[in-house]
This record gives sequence, C-alpha cells and structure tokens, in this order.
Amino acid sequence: MKRITLIFIGSLFFALGSMGQSTIPAIDKSPLDMSTYPVNYPLLKIQDKAQEPIAARILYSRPVKNNRVIFGDLVDYNKVWRFGANENTEIEFFKDVTINKIKIKKGKYSIFAIPAQDKWTIIINKDLNSWGSFKYELSKDVVRVDVPVQVTTEIAEAFFIYFEKAKDGFAINAGWDNIKITLPISM
Amino acid sequence: MNRSLTRLSVFFTLFILSCTTVAKKENTADASIDSITNSTNPYVKMDQSPLDLSWCPANYPIEKMKGNDSLKLIAKLTYSRPHKKGRALFGESKDNLCAYNVPWRLGANEATEIQFFENVNIAGQNILKGTYVLYCIPHADRWTIIFNSNLSTWGLHINESKDVFKTDIPVTKQEPPIEDFTMLFEDTPTGANLIMAWDNVKSVLPIIFSKGK
Repeated sequence: MKRITLIFIGSLFFALGSMGQSTIPAIDKSPLDMSTYPVNYPLLKIQDKAQEPIAARILYSRPVKNNRVIFGDLVDYNKVWRFGANENTEIEFFKDVTINKIKIKKGKYSIFAIPAQDKWTIIINKDLNSWGSFKYELSKDVVRVDVPVQVTTEIAEAFFIYFEKAKDGFAINAGWDNIKITLPISM
Repeated sequence: MNRSLTRLSVFFTLFILSCTTVAKKENTADASIDSITNSTNPYVKMDQSPLDLSWCPANYPIEKMKGNDSLKLIAKLTYSRPHKKGRALFGESKDNLCAYNVPWRLGANEATEIQFFENVNIAGQNILKGTYVLYCIPHADRWTIIFNSNLSTWGLHINESKDVFKTDIPVTKQEPPIEDFTMLFEDTPTGANLIMAWDNVKSVLPIIFSKGK
C-alpha cells in the first residue's frame, strides 16, 4: 500500500510538472485583434503612404464558431452582447464623429450590440476597461442606433470587424457566422 | 501474486493517465493555435501572432466584474504574441529574429503600446500617465527598454526621434523556455514588475507606484 501511495504521488508530480508554466498566459482561444480607419493605418504610416490621419481604432476579441449555433443560441437575441469576447470591445475616435445624428467627442468608448433576428442595436457606451457586458449600464450610453441584419452566403468562422470608406466618413462592418451588419459613421 | 499484480496495474494506469494528460494538453494547445489562425474568414483573417492584453493589476477587468472595488487600474499593455516555431530568436547573428543591438518591437505587427492611468516611477524617472509605444534593444546581458511617443504605428521602422525614456534591465534565463512571446505584470511590494519572456530569455522591468486607492 505504501508503495502504491508513493507511485501515486510520483505520478501526480509528473502530471503537475506539465503545469509548470501556469503563470504564463496561454494564447487566447478568442484572440484579440485590431482594426483601424484608414484600413491598415499603422502599416501605411511606416511606408509614408497614409493619405489621411487615423480616425478610429477598434480592439476586439474574436470568438470562433466551432460548430456552434451563434445568433439566437450562443448569443441571445434581445440581450446586450459584448460585441466580441473577453474584455468588451473598445473603439477610439481620434476626432469628433457623428453616429445617427448624435455628435460623439473624440476619445475611447465601449461598443455593445443587442442582436435580434432582423436588426442589431449598436450601443456606444462610456464604460472602459471592463469584462464582457455583465456590468453594462444603460446610464453610460452615448448613442444607440439600429442597423439591419444582412444574411450572407459565406460563413465567417470567427467574429470580425473591419472599416471601409463610406459616404461622409467611414463604416464599421461586423459579423459572425452568416450574419453581417454595417454601421455608418460621419466625420 | 494477486496483490503485486494489482499494484502493477494501478501503477500502469496512473502512469498512462498522467502521460495522456500531458500529451492531450500539449496537443490541444498546438491544435488550437493552428485551428484559430487557419479558420476560414472571408472578411478578416485571424492573425498568426495574435494581439493580447495584459493588465496591471493582473486580470483587472475580471476582478472589477467580480466586484473587487479595491483595485486601482495602473496600466494596460497591448502587444502581439509571435511564436518561436523553431526559429533562432535572440543572438549575435543578423539572422536571429531578435538580433543583438537591433531595435525589436517587443511583439509583432503593430507597435506594442502601454497606457499608464497614473504617473509611475521607473528607474528613478517619473513617467507621466498616458500612452507610449514600448520597444527594446536586446543585448546578451541586458535589454534597453525604450518608451516612444509615436503612437498607432507598425512595429518596424521605429522613429527614434520620438523616444522619451530609456533604461537598461538585466536579462535572466527563462526556464522552461516559452513558445509564445509573453508580457505580464506581477505584483511587488512597491508596485509591479513587467515580465517579458520568450524562448529562454526573460527580463523584468520594475515599476513603482503608490498602492493606495
């Protein structure tokens, strides 16, 4: 019995040995990513090819579909969603902009969304450096705007956000699975 | 005879169990990086060297969500995490990915940025709150850590005329070696250490600030 105990302890140490790097954070399953407007601004900047100054930058985490049903299941309809994963998504405006006729001062904001079957409500909010939408506060909203849902034929395995040039400014495109939305922003 | 057989079988079961636990763990780690970076996306491809955040204090947003109101946010670090993938990283040769005496972006892709939410002290120098690009010049025995004010840029072609502060810190051995470049904050009695580690190299930047709320 004593020997078995010793062997058991030995095996336990062996298994624990594989956890030696426990303080070192692993690569995130929903990795963070960055989008800028102008598109690829940091790369253009070092090549002296940027034709206009940076207007906006988004930091967002990219959850992966992994065979799951996304909207209406993993992400509930009609509930505030963090528009990503992990820390809630943040946008920095480097100049004042207008969304849905509401003027937004330059600075950093969080973005949330309330997905529904036919439309998403996009929320720009003042809370920063937070996790998810668990402590979301309506009183910190800056603007809410409804945008229609586009159903796409191509499937995006990971949640995505990208900017593109648009009338009077630029637009945020975001989506996951077979759903995509576009949020126009004017400068 | 029966008893020793039981002992043997218990030993082997435990041994095999512990082996498969280790193997499983490593396999899923590798598989998840590849499946993430190779996953289909018609709009924005996943990055080979994904971006990550480190918070000082560690995991600040999660702690805040849990209701830990005593924590004061000091710093937020945004950096990309390249993988070693069998390459020679730190060394004398120009072929090394992070060659000695050549500025290195402390990450990948966009320049690494650190935001301080209050003034801190590093190597006797007062660093004003705000956002800085962080890069380093690796040497065999030390790293020169440099704060730069040219924000929202790519990590290459650093504009040295925008350097605002530099300090040398010693290099120690990272054991066991690390596959993915890692930066994290660890609490100290006088503030926090910014730990930077990749492969078998580790350096520590002590940051001093007041702990009171």
